[in-house]
Amino acid sequence: MASTRIPPSPETQADATPAATSAGFLANKARFRFFGLTLDGCIKAFFGGNAVVAVLVLTLITIFLFKEGGGFFAQNRANLQIYRQAGLEYVDFIRAQTTGHTALTHELSDLRLRQFHRLTEAGKSLAEANAALAGFDEFANQFGDAIIPLRGLLSDLTETATALKSKFATTENLKIARQQLLAAGKTAEADKIVISEVNFDAELKPLLGTLPAYQAASAETAAKITAALTVKPALPTPELQARLEQFKMLAAAYVADFPAVEKNLRAWDYRQPVPFFRSITSFIFGRDWIAQSSWQEWYGILPLFVGSLMVSFVALLFAVPLGIGAAIYINQLASPAEQRIVKPCIEFISAIPSVVLGFFGVIFLGENLRLLSQQSWLAWVPGFPFSERLNILTAGCLLALIAVPTIFTLAEDSLNNVPRAFKEASFALGASRLQTIIKVIVPASLSGIISAVLLGLGRVIGETMVVLLCAGNRIAIPDFTAGLAVITQPVHTMTGLIAQEMGEVPVGSIGRHALFMIGLVLFFLSLLINWLAQKIVRRYRIAID
Amino acid sequence: MTSPTATHFAPRPGLGRTWERGALWLFRVATYFIVLCGAFVFGQIFWRGAPTVFTAHAPFVNVAFFTEAPESLHVFAYQGEKMELGDRAFNAFKAAHADAGAIKDDSYVYSAGGIFPCIVGTMLLVAGSMGIALFLGVSSAIYLNEYARDSAFVRFIRLAILNLAGVPSIVFGLFGFGMFVIFFGWNVSLLAGWFTLAFMVLPVVITASEESLKAVPKGFREGSLALGATKWQTIRKNVLPYALPGILTSSILGIARVAGETAPIMFTAAYVVRDKLPWEGLEKWTDFFFQGVMALPYHIYVVSSKIPQNEYTARVQYGTAFVFLLIVALIASTSIVLRSRLRNRYKW
Repeated sequence: MASTRIPPSPETQADATPAATSAGFLANKARFRFFGLTLDGCIKAFFGGNAVVAVLVLTLITIFLFKEGGGFFAQNRANLQIYRQAGLEYVDFIRAQTTGHTALTHELSDLRLRQFHRLTEAGKSLAEANAALAGFDEFANQFGDAIIPLRGLLSDLTETATALKSKFATTENLKIARQQLLAAGKTAEADKIVISEVNFDAELKPLLGTLPAYQAASAETAAKITAALTVKPALPTPELQARLEQFKMLAAAYVADFPAVEKNLRAWDYRQPVPFFRSITSFIFGRDWIAQSSWQEWYGILPLFVGSLMVSFVALLFAVPLGIGAAIYINQLASPAEQRIVKPCIEFISAIPSVVLGFFGVIFLGENLRLLSQQSWLAWVPGFPFSERLNILTAGCLLALIAVPTIFTLAEDSLNNVPRAFKEASFALGASRLQTIIKVIVPASLSGIISAVLLGLGRVIGETMVVLLCAGNRIAIPDFTAGLAVITQPVHTMTGLIAQEMGEVPVGSIGRHALFMIGLVLFFLSLLINWLAQKIVRRYRIAID
Repeated sequence: MTSPTATHFAPRPGLGRTWERGALWLFRVATYFIVLCGAFVFGQIFWRGAPTVFTAHAPFVNVAFFTEAPESLHVFAYQGEKMELGDRAFNAFKAAHADAGAIKDDSYVYSAGGIFPCIVGTMLLVAGSMGIALFLGVSSAIYLNEYARDSAFVRFIRLAILNLAGVPSIVFGLFGFGMFVIFFGWNVSLLAGWFTLAFMVLPVVITASEESLKAVPKGFREGSLALGATKWQTIRKNVLPYALPGILTSSILGIARVAGETAPIMFTAAYVVRDKLPWEGLEKWTDFFFQGVMALPYHIYVVSSKIPQNEYTARVQYGTAFVFLLIVALIASTSIVLRSRLRNRYKW
């Protein structure tokens, strides 16, 4: 019995082989099998499994970005809801009113500064200039003081609302703590936590009760401003006089808006629910990104998105002409020796790590660009002179250096793919070299060049270290009214903000989820750019056969 | 005077001709402007960083800079002399001089000592992530090039690889953070950094490997198969040996990318400062993988943005950037040189 279980020894197997071959094909021989696969099949499956890794990683990226970022909208809605319930929204109506006044006083002080310069340029001493502006100052002070009653009311209301909000936050925290205790099975301790629900109706009473006080303060402010506007200070030049007239019109419009604010305050109801789409629109179109604020947190991606676009735009402005020009030169005009030397040199630039470029920008380029901008012979350049060392221009210049090798290499490739016959035919027809390049070679490879530019854009918009170090990191939509000078303003970018804040936001907080949302936006933006680049190459490729 | 026959075919001078020449010069200027910009960045960092890295007397290299950990620099005046000492030297000095207790010193973080832990950390990160990336990348390339037939599935994989190449590195960082650091609970660790970097560089490795595999002539495979070898035997004996040098050289470019990236390791693997070297103070051997490290690119970020700029800090800033740039440039140029060598070696 035992002998039958012993596997055949190697000798018997070897003996059996000739018989097997004679009996049938070798292929029928029993082989190693695993899950019904032969050894070769296993190896194939193993390699195939590894190949799926790319798909898997892409899927996992999507899953994890959604997992971490997905909670954002619900949290943001809660964030907006408490903004309304605790009366912060109510207070912000009044705050907007005072902010409008502040903007107007800024305009006045700017006006005064100009007049002052005008007067001192005309040769008057400082004292004389101040004396000449005494009438204007009186007017400005009168206008400036008009807001005092409203501002006093505002600071009181701010305190009330903040207190209510923090009370609500404490209750929520207690609830969470209780939940955790219950989950841990500590019922006795959980019962000890006394939760008193916030009664918004009662708590908001004092806030809403200030409406008559607001009406009085608002009326007083309006009366004071109107009174101030009747004064007519004389200004030295007609141009400034015109600006003052314009200011008066703006101020009158500002006062005329008061009833609308009051109407808003009357109509305001904390019970009104915040619809879910508001959470989404406030993310996409929100103009403020204020994380970790004692008043209210806002998560609007617009300033960051615009910042990223502006920086990339400036970078491409430099990189596209340079990269494509160099590609044309190397591919069409350079001698073979030149090609062999210059091409690796440009490709080598892509090996400079971005953090080194960022470092270079912080320590060298930023300061030197600023000094250069202050040269008087360069004053005609828009935006010059500027005082911010780190701004869109600094980051853009360095990003251009990152984009150039990408654009150059890909554009050169696509120029290289244009058949010789095109060029020869063009020359045979008597076209010059420039004509051939512009009318034949470039159009024939245009799809490749455009996709090169797009991929360069993808490279630049996803770049982190350079913009983090050199873009200035001020979260604000740049002031486009400055015209071209906008490129000398500091901005913050999507990538930069993620890198900067990721280490600071606590786990599970709305701030962290918001950062993952930005990551999601970046991810899909890069996929879109990639997809467009491929599509353009495929769609507009010239069939050469 | 030239003869009429010579001028007959020569281009006639004129406005158009001048214009053309100007335009062609513009292309040339653009090309050399780029080269100059690149050279300027290199030159500036080499020029300013060299004094930190090299010394005027033997052994001509600042050994301490390469072998010590970053320290704070203490600058003070003692008995009319200006002294600059690192942390340890400063403490020793205070112990040696009884009257030194009252010294008022200015201290500058990270400005003394060296960058040894950063170099070690970067090397560990590169080695681990390239190991993972090469394993995954070469296997997928073998599948795509040797086994797969053109099917919807394979097209999908190729599309995924292409798109993976375009994903910004910070998104890889976020992903690594969400998956490895938080979800798997690895915390900020070597392992999390390895996988994050490996996935980032995967498309480069796959594309490079595929190209090298494609360069091996079909006849090699057919000959082997005709002799009765199995598919795997063919690949192992007749394809991979010829493709391997190409795979490795092209992958060096991937190494340059891995070594140079900062964003993916910022929240997955890098510490601002760590006293211990990676092999010190391990309780059990698995701890090695679950510890954060210092890394050169992150150190550059820290010293260029988190500390004030003055003559004392500039030395370490430029020195670190110099070393880092040198390492990455060496890796990249090795790849370029090896690739051109390789092109001449096999001709079939």
